[in-house]
Amino acid sequence: MRNLFKRFMVVLGIACAVVAVASCKNCSPSKTTTGPYIELEDYKDYVKYELESLVAKVTPQLSDATVKDNVNTAKEEGLADIDAASSVLAVMTSFDNAKAAVANCIPIATGLQSYTNESVDEKTKILGILEQYGVDLGLTGISLFENGGYVMYNDRITLGTENYITNYGFGTLPEGSINADLAFETNANWKRYYHTYDSTDPGTANYLNANDSRVGDFYGYFAASYYTNFMNDTKDGYTWTPELAKTQLSAYVDGAWTEPGEYSGQAAKWRFEVRTGKDGLKYNTLSTLRQKYNNRDVALEDYLTPFKLLLDATNGFFRGSEFANSTTGAIKGAKEYYTTVKGGKAADFSTVGVKAYEEAGKEYFEFEYTQPYSAYYARYYISSSLYMPIPQEFLDEVGVENYIGFNADKTQTPVDNVLSLGAYTLERWDSGQQVVYKKNPNYVFASTKYQIEGVHINILTAANTDPEAGFKEFLDGHIDSASIPQSKLAEYSSDPRTRITTGDSVFKLNVNALDQETWEKFFGVNGTVTTTDKDNYWQVEPILSNTYFVKGLSFAIDRFQYASARGFVPSINYFSSAYMSDPEEGVAYNTTTPHKDAIKGLLPSGTDDYGYSLELAREYFRIALTELEAQGIYTPGTKEKPRVIELECAWFIPAYQEQFHNALENYWETAFNDESVSHGNYQLDIKFYAGATAEECYDKMQQGQFDIAFGAISGDPMNPLSFMQMLSSDVVLSAGFTLNWAVDTNDVDSALLVYDGKRWSYDGLYNAANSFAVLDDNSTSSSPFDYDFSYQANADNSGEGVVTVTLALKDITTFTVSDVVIFHNFVKNGAAAYEEETIMEHAQVEVKDGVVTITIDCPADLGAKYADGLGFDIYYTIKVGEYDSTSIFSVYVE
Amino acid sequence: MFKYVLKRIGLALITTFIILSLTFILIKLLPFEKPGGQQNTRIAVYDREVYLGYMTFSKTPRPELGDPVDQFDLGNGQRRYYYKVPVMKQYVKWLKNIITRWDWGRSTKVEPNVDAVVIIGERLPYSIKINIISVLFSVPIGILLGIWAALKKNKLTDHIISTVVMICISIPSFVLITFLILIFGYKLHWIPTFWPNPTNPISDKILAYILPVFCLSFGSICGYCRFTRAELCDVIESDYLLLARTKGLTKKQAILRHALRNAMVPIVPSILAEFIGILGGSMILEGLYRIPGIGSLFIESLSSKDYNILFVDMAIFTTISLIAGVILDISYGFIDPRIRMGAKK
Repeated sequence: MRNLFKRFMVVLGIACAVVAVASCKNCSPSKTTTGPYIELEDYKDYVKYELESLVAKVTPQLSDATVKDNVNTAKEEGLADIDAASSVLAVMTSFDNAKAAVANCIPIATGLQSYTNESVDEKTKILGILEQYGVDLGLTGISLFENGGYVMYNDRITLGTENYITNYGFGTLPEGSINADLAFETNANWKRYYHTYDSTDPGTANYLNANDSRVGDFYGYFAASYYTNFMNDTKDGYTWTPELAKTQLSAYVDGAWTEPGEYSGQAAKWRFEVRTGKDGLKYNTLSTLRQKYNNRDVALEDYLTPFKLLLDATNGFFRGSEFANSTTGAIKGAKEYYTTVKGGKAADFSTVGVKAYEEAGKEYFEFEYTQPYSAYYARYYISSSLYMPIPQEFLDEVGVENYIGFNADKTQTPVDNVLSLGAYTLERWDSGQQVVYKKNPNYVFASTKYQIEGVHINILTAANTDPEAGFKEFLDGHIDSASIPQSKLAEYSSDPRTRITTGDSVFKLNVNALDQETWEKFFGVNGTVTTTDKDNYWQVEPILSNTYFVKGLSFAIDRFQYASARGFVPSINYFSSAYMSDPEEGVAYNTTTPHKDAIKGLLPSGTDDYGYSLELAREYFRIALTELEAQGIYTPGTKEKPRVIELECAWFIPAYQEQFHNALENYWETAFNDESVSHGNYQLDIKFYAGATAEECYDKMQQGQFDIAFGAISGDPMNPLSFMQMLSSDVVLSAGFTLNWAVDTNDVDSALLVYDGKRWSYDGLYNAANSFAVLDDNSTSSSPFDYDFSYQANADNSGEGVVTVTLALKDITTFTVSDVVIFHNFVKNGAAAYEEETIMEHAQVEVKDGVVTITIDCPADLGAKYADGLGFDIYYTIKVGEYDSTSIFSVYVE
Repeated sequence: MFKYVLKRIGLALITTFIILSLTFILIKLLPFEKPGGQQNTRIAVYDREVYLGYMTFSKTPRPELGDPVDQFDLGNGQRRYYYKVPVMKQYVKWLKNIITRWDWGRSTKVEPNVDAVVIIGERLPYSIKINIISVLFSVPIGILLGIWAALKKNKLTDHIISTVVMICISIPSFVLITFLILIFGYKLHWIPTFWPNPTNPISDKILAYILPVFCLSFGSICGYCRFTRAELCDVIESDYLLLARTKGLTKKQAILRHALRNAMVPIVPSILAEFIGILGGSMILEGLYRIPGIGSLFIESLSSKDYNILFVDMAIFTTISLIAGVILDISYGFIDPRIRMGAKK
């Protein structure tokens, strides 16, 4: 019994000890486990992998054996240093030193650089290198999905192809057909028309004067362009076909015209033969008012009318201003002509780089760009339906303000005010109710293409408030196609009438990865991007500057689930599938090796096809926290009182909280707030923000007032290389449209960017790839010239202004002044007003040792007239090496 | 009386002027929504605003014009600063054009280039037609239901009518039409799902009136019903009606000759007030059913910032309301000879 008691006491004692230990372990929260959250050796492995990847990335771009050897040596030394490091901070320092050592082995690109004449493959490589720079620094944001989706078609429609062709579609109208009447349609003549809808009647189809792409859609049915696209024979792509043109392009090279379609290099001046009345090309109209123009021959001079119409600034046409101010595909002399007319001066249209003339019995349209382009891009930029010929006489009769619209008293409709050369002709326009088009028998390909008899567009205003209105109309048999709304996806996504389309934009979460110092440089009181009062400084969240963290955010999103549930196409890519690196051959950039290499870091082993891995996300969060603690940037909290990392995620409108935000918040918080990441020392708190409009969200991004924000910008899908300007932190280069911020992209040390054996700043390589770059000794891209201005005013209002232009590369640069204009901005009746006139006869230009001095003797009368807000515009042509451009710069009298 | 009418009309004109002026100024003071797109596209948007006279631009900052709406650095010292034209300047110009040339401006977005007055003139008949039909439909039904309920006061019939009226009066017309389109348009296919096109057959056009008229009348019927019931109940319980009965009139005679006539005194003017109410309520409904009236036009012009249309539309609504108010006031005198407003003692 005693033994039994003893044994009982021993067992009880052990049990108490176990309970005590266990409870002690459980009830001692103040004993916090802090970082590092990853073992030092594991961390070293990650860092070594980073270094090796970096060197592996740059090595193929190095041709010099010595440089290669030096790079390898620097790498090996760096790896050894990392191995020897005894702390996280020491590893980080070793890595930074190794990166710098590798970089120092590679020469910096300087002087005049250009790759504009390189092959498509080479340019794709550059694009891949630029993209990788963006991915590495988080400048490409966190991609979510493409805006493609599910569309249903009526059974009576036979599509041109069953598989969606990117940038072309299903070929419904050009190659499709309709094999039954639409029972709903009461007009017997329209029963075989293709029926569709739009939520709004734009009230005009004058795309020459509209900002709304909807107007472009209404315009496109009756418009024609020089070249157009039709589906190829294998129905998996499309080909370019002359429409208003008769031949392929000829380039003007070395003082002579090449054979049509033969020249494969780049040129600025091109021409092609056009179709006119001689070839049977005639206008078409269904207007009784304009019957005299029906079947009228197209004249050669009609080809110039749209350019005159657009570039006459007094017409105030939206596309005219856009055309004149464009930098891509800009026509020589267009900007200057537009600006001159805008200034109220007479301008000579012959200075604009478009001409129509007859030569040796053939009729040509000739055009000249401000910079050389390949044949593909030369054709692509000129093939806008905006340039559809118009008889000047018709325009005079209709009136510029009434062109393709209603007149003021609505006695004329758009049917009366346009002549068609496209596949369809406007048949009827009932404001706010319906727009109808009928097949144009005069269309160039009327006998072989566009066999559908007409198009009927119903204006369905309910679609403005009810996102399912269009789909209801489709299900009711009133229209021939509609997108499937999110709520009906489960029911209809497998319907035999359903087709899947790809999109033109990738929607992303854009990231503000700046540190506070760089933020201030860009956005502070003296910011280079925009200026902000000190009271409104944005406090950046340091963790967003950590690339591991940003990648962790990317790995944490199950894109497939996220996008599919919302009827979109998941995407990890920066560009949508619509972007072509080789548009001529139909090669989508996302299918190329340079792109795949660029996004390798977003798709490491362990992730799914769209870069999702919860475990990897947590691992990257652990690394990020370890680094930030080691740097002393973050101090851990405790499990009871964790250090809260609050990130604001901005969206377009409040409704997006339910639609998009909540799921993302869940992905990120689930991944980060897991016990295994920081033992509960940190807590990620994602906050929702939405303004009243999408613009507010974009404003936040453009002004750096955000952590993470939703958005997408579409560029030219045929020229993704030019779209890379959007990653630049230079507001002039990106035209103010940068959404992601991380570093100064004009700084060669911002990241290791190597191409052609040289180390580049991002802006430098971008400029060199798209036109040319003038680089200083640090590869900083700069203007080919710098200028200074001084003005000495006299008591009698006369004055002397001296503009000193210093050429960056004086040996290979010529600078010619073509005009000097005096202007002033003043305030009249409470509004800004503007006046200008030429003062060239009072200007002297002197060139000496790379310095151009322009001396302006401003006479007293002009000095008095322009006293308030005086300034001068210098019109110039600069030629650097073989690259020339014509432009203007302005100087102001302070 | 004539002097009174003139005074009321004068006051209505002044009120119209004040309302329009305030509308113009307040709308123009709204913050400018910056356009999206690439730089050349944004510049083109602003250039268009400059062309329309809403903005001006300067190559140099002009602080005296306030903060620029937007600014561009085009490189090479080329800068563009866009400023809004002062609201009062726009206002004076707008007012001058109306007074001197009866020029209310042209549409810039809804139907670009078309005179705002022409657009309103084209769309007004649709709204008026629907609203008048609604009134014609709702007045007799509403009044009859009210009379029935009053005569059956506190009986089952009265309770049913009153309860249904209470429920129905709470449903806005645009909510109702959404359900009805879904049921009678998309499910049963009895009526068109949107206002028919001009090329549709006449039968479609007649059918298309059913839903909007019913939905607009729905609330009014309930309103008239409640009002008539309340007025009639008061009159029925009055001493003079008791006297009429004691003088030997039947209940029917007493109600038709005395009660109903007296109860109508406040009901008839309320028809005008209700008409104004319907006009306002048809705004959203018109948009939902694609009725090309001035209600949907108001929403369309407001959302697209087509100010000229908006102001003319606003003027129409204001004028109709004020004219109705004047008629309302005057009508009291005609309906009840005891009321002689403006008359000297």
